[in-house]
Amino acid sequence: MGSIRFQNVDKVFGASQAGVKVLDDINLEIGEKEFVAIVGPSGCGKTTCLRMVAGFEAPSSGTITVSGKVVSEPGPDRAVVFQQFALFPWKTVRENIDLGLRNKNLPAAERDRLIADALKLMNLESHAGAFPHQLSGGMQQRVAIARAYVLDPDVLLMDEPFGALDAQTRVVMQEELVRLARVNPRTVLFITHAVEEAVYLADRVAIMTRRPGRIKEVLDIKSVRLAENWDRFARIEDVMDQESFVHLRTQIWKSLREEKGAQGV
Amino acid sequence: MIGRRGLIGLGTVAGVIALWFLLTTLTGIVSGARFPSPSEFWASLVQIWTRGYAGGQLLAHALHSLKLVVMGFLVAIATGIPLGLWMGWSRRAEAAINPVFLVIRPIPPLAWIPLAILWLGLGDAAKIMVIWFSAFVPSVINTFAGVRNIDRPILEAARMLGTPRGRMVTEIIAPAASPLIFTGLRLSLQASWTTLVAAELVGAMVGVGFVLNMAQQDLYPAMILVGMITVGILGWATTVALARVERQALAWNVAARD
Ligand SMILES: Nc1ncnc2c1ncn2[C@@H]1O[C@H](COP(=O)(O)OP(=O)(O)OP(=O)(O)O)[C@@H](O)[C@H]1O
Ligand SMILES: [Mg+2]
Repeated sequence: MGSIRFQNVDKVFGASQAGVKVLDDINLEIGEKEFVAIVGPSGCGKTTCLRMVAGFEAPSSGTITVSGKVVSEPGPDRAVVFQQFALFPWKTVRENIDLGLRNKNLPAAERDRLIADALKLMNLESHAGAFPHQLSGGMQQRVAIARAYVLDPDVLLMDEPFGALDAQTRVVMQEELVRLARVNPRTVLFITHAVEEAVYLADRVAIMTRRPGRIKEVLDIKSVRLAENWDRFARIEDVMDQESFVHLRTQIWKSLREEKGAQGV
Repeated sequence: MIGRRGLIGLGTVAGVIALWFLLTTLTGIVSGARFPSPSEFWASLVQIWTRGYAGGQLLAHALHSLKLVVMGFLVAIATGIPLGLWMGWSRRAEAAINPVFLVIRPIPPLAWIPLAILWLGLGDAAKIMVIWFSAFVPSVINTFAGVRNIDRPILEAARMLGTPRGRMVTEIIAPAASPLIFTGLRLSLQASWTTLVAAELVGAMVGVGFVLNMAQQDLYPAMILVGMITVGILGWATTVALARVERQALAWNVAARD
């Protein structure tokens, strides 16, 4: 359960002749419990990729399958964490997390248990009764992650989830996500502009070309992380000091810069 | 407790009354045939409060008008909000209903009064119908706009969580649109009062508008003023009540907090 597969996926926005081709023949396989980050120039179609897996958009051609099933509509098996959190401001933290569980018609006792677990996992216990506007951005994104995790989804889809956070909060959330991935591994498709974030979090990093977006190359991070034993460091800055980390980061930077250069930016 | 703002407001009221006294009783610049003095006003108030005027005491007139406004308003929003939600939700419903709206909307609500009286007579039913027609439109339009202005990610998040249709309306769409829905309700309430008083002016046996109408025929400016001020106070009271409900309902809304 939980693999994602893009097969010859094209995406054209607008009428087919006059339309803009955004994605060109995307092929990518994300294994079960694998964490794949996509990086690429702005406007290359990263968000579109994720939205198609979520079921918010349909491919113009090709297919996307999740756990072997062709995606046709949104559903709780593919939980999305949005850049702008997209919490329900009229619901408390607890009610936000509860909605997906109620939609699954789970009994109250089980929901209570799952919510308690999710609150604990994201260190939100003392905020269960708060409304989103009473929380900082970092806290709100924790709620959004809890709301996604509590569904026990096959895959997690995150579109620049930390893009709206300040630098310090961002680091905390990145470390938090690594911790989460260890205690509760998931298949994750993660989109980011931040190359360091991608290298730190992902098992593999897919680099896209400028629009129309294609997968330019896919870098294996996991083997380096295991070989260099990055996991012995608790803090992100220690990992980022490693020569192996710097090397990967530079490699991705160069690849991205080629794309930007080609665009004339 | 009266705050600073309350004190300023009280000061203004006191100033207006003093000026009124000055212009009428003290100097006689404004003649009593055009505008009553404070003492005449007071006498009329006492008259309608105790002995009654136009077939009833002030409280009876006021309560009757209030009852009609509340009923017409409730009927209007009970139909207007669902219709607005539906039109906002479904492009097809919008396409089907909008043309009807485009024709009906420019008709001033008061233009319905003759038809309503012809159909339903001078009783309560005609007035409730006219209020309904006038208060309905702002509720529909603002609810519709509220739904169309919902942030896309909110809807997508709800869909991603597997929210079924009915719950989507009650727990996502309606609350998300509620700030604008309440704007519509405020406008509907105003429209309800305007329409009611107009309808009672044209044809009624009881009510504040009827008091105004009788006082005009009796050439009785002090009683006209009593009627006007009564409408003002009733309108203000219902507006405050609605604002209370709104504050409760939108407690989650940062933008609505002061
Ligand atoms: N619904 C839509 N209709 C038309 N064009 C769209 C739509 N959604 C996206 N696009 C266009 O498709 C292209 C890719 O958009 P997308 O949001 O996927 O890029 P992105 O890689 O996520 O960009 P960024 O890094 O800025 O977030 C952009 O040129 C965008 O303008
Ligand atoms: Mg994007």
